[in-house]
Amino acid sequence: MTTRRELLQTSAAITLLGAMAQPRRGAAAAGPPIRVGCSITQTGPYSAPAVFELQGYQLAAAELNKAGGVLGRPIEIVAYDDQGNPSTAVQLYQKLIHSDRVDLLVSPYEADLVLAVAPLVTRARMVMPSLGANIEPYQGKYPYLIQAITQTPRYMMPVIDLAASRGYKTVALLVQNTQFPQELAKGIADEATAKGMSVVFREAYAPTTTDFSALVLKAAERKPDVIIGATYLADAMGIVHAAKSENVQAKMFAFSIGPVEPEFGKGLGPAAEGIFGTTLYFPSLKTAGNEAFVADFTAKFGRAPDYHAAVAYASLKVLAGAVQRVGSLDQDKILRALLQTQTDTVVGRFALSPTGMQTGYTSYVLQWQKGKQELVWPREQATAPVELPHPAW
Amino acid sequence: MATFATLVVLGLLWGGVYLLMAEGLNLIYGVMKVVNLAHGDFIVLGGLLALTLFGRYGLSPVVAFPLAAALLFVIGAAVQGGVLERIPLAKPEGELRTLLATFGLSYVVANTSFLIWGSQFQSIPFLQSAFAVGPIAVPQGLLACSLLAAALAVAVHAWLRHTAVGRAVRATAQSALGAAACGLNVRRLRIVTFALGAAMAGGAGALVIALVPFQTSSGGDLTVQAFTLIALGGLGSYLGAWLAAELLGITEVMAQYYLGSDAAAAVIYLVFIAVLVFRPQGLLGRTMRI
Repeated sequence: MTTRRELLQTSAAITLLGAMAQPRRGAAAAGPPIRVGCSITQTGPYSAPAVFELQGYQLAAAELNKAGGVLGRPIEIVAYDDQGNPSTAVQLYQKLIHSDRVDLLVSPYEADLVLAVAPLVTRARMVMPSLGANIEPYQGKYPYLIQAITQTPRYMMPVIDLAASRGYKTVALLVQNTQFPQELAKGIADEATAKGMSVVFREAYAPTTTDFSALVLKAAERKPDVIIGATYLADAMGIVHAAKSENVQAKMFAFSIGPVEPEFGKGLGPAAEGIFGTTLYFPSLKTAGNEAFVADFTAKFGRAPDYHAAVAYASLKVLAGAVQRVGSLDQDKILRALLQTQTDTVVGRFALSPTGMQTGYTSYVLQWQKGKQELVWPREQATAPVELPHPAW
Repeated sequence: MATFATLVVLGLLWGGVYLLMAEGLNLIYGVMKVVNLAHGDFIVLGGLLALTLFGRYGLSPVVAFPLAAALLFVIGAAVQGGVLERIPLAKPEGELRTLLATFGLSYVVANTSFLIWGSQFQSIPFLQSAFAVGPIAVPQGLLACSLLAAALAVAVHAWLRHTAVGRAVRATAQSALGAAACGLNVRRLRIVTFALGAAMAGGAGALVIALVPFQTSSGGDLTVQAFTLIALGGLGSYLGAWLAAELLGITEVMAQYYLGSDAAAAVIYLVFIAVLVFRPQGLLGRTMRI
């Protein structure tokens, strides 16, 4: 019988072997490696996005090593499997910090794991570029955490921008009653007001809701130009389903998480046509170094990168850049350097508030067109023209 | 007025969907007095099977419905014959052990499904549009599920009342000992009943996945929902389950519209608690039992 500890050791060993097996061509990095530690959900139901993240780190490390390493030393990723369990993640970061004594830390995925390890990382005074989108940890509570992913309130900014550019005036907001959608809804409402639009309907629903018929009917009675859902996948599908099956019309339908998933198009078929969603990253982006990133990632892992891979890749690159500029592994100096960093990454412009909140990254608007996701906004990143208004169902 | 009429229609139709998902559980409980905690997982399994048939072979849920029902019939028969029959109900804690066994079964089904289909929410595009009846839009998918639920309820009722096997099943429900004493093969009757109940769950899943996206871990919620419904109706009562389903559907839609979506989730369980307090035997109690 294999114990969990043995499994962990095995998976760590495999990861280490993988990291060591990476080719080190070009200028040879010499000296003892700089060890970058993290826990990643490598197994279990939450592993799919997290494995993308790990591969993002691995590709960033491989590229840095190929270019001669950091401070002339090679980068080595030390990754353990937290199985999506916050208390396991805490134990693993404890081990990384106090027993492995890694030189740098990067983030687990996702927000609840980041929150679980945040106090420990902060006590150890180690910098961690974090992939948690909620803003609370980066407002002074955990000074050593810096946000390396789009902050929740900015998640749908370009959608409002697109709607405003078409002269749409009124918004109905349907919000899942959980933390991320609620924080997002506040951001959407603020942004809409700032762009001269008014929120004519706003209602929260329980996360277990499966029947959206009355809610959608009620929202439609206010005749909004735009119906926006601060949603995950199942509720976004439920709302679209209710709108189509009740013949509810609006000029534009947009959802936060949902349309970005391939299952949205597969599950809704023709009803998905014309629906807008947001994504933090898209392989076709014309951002700094993205073409090479997509090519290298696909060559190395046999699949195109998703946004988890991209933000993780960018976060290790930004961290390495700060270390290089500081010229040492002094965590306080690295933190100060990071807070002043303004740089272009594969995800977009990276910039931080004085407390470490992400103020550069936003998102990109995609639309389902002919059974495919097309990037339609901002205009300079578009792969296809926007199709508006939404046609009759 | 048109709005109110629309809400009533929507409530009645959603009630039909809830009934469709609870009928199998009701049948199994009615005969064996055991709640099958894997019921929701059977529904999800049927739905995911329909998803694969649609995705890989382009078969519509109408074709998937009998196939999912047939597969779940076989699984149900295997579970009852291979596992649950070995747990003697007559011994102390027999019912509790059976309950625990179905609880374990729920994990086995859900995790096997996870290995095959992954954890993401899935759905099938099918009957998404609406019929216009005057000013009221009637959703096609909901209507189809409701009609099927009604047809199944009538068919099961007719089977139980008017066929020899059905009468034997009812005799077993009233007294397994008495039925056995009359020479009925009680074991086989229970296997048939459990298999039928599982088949109804699988068939329901094949259609409902087009209305409500499923993920492999959705089963638990569906079991609770179906159990609430049959408890509300009077466990094992057919007409009661129907009434309870329509009551739940209308309550939910009306509460969502007039009180807000957040409140709607609570209102249903308040109704449930009220029924348990003031009418613990369920809406119809002992009448119309299997």
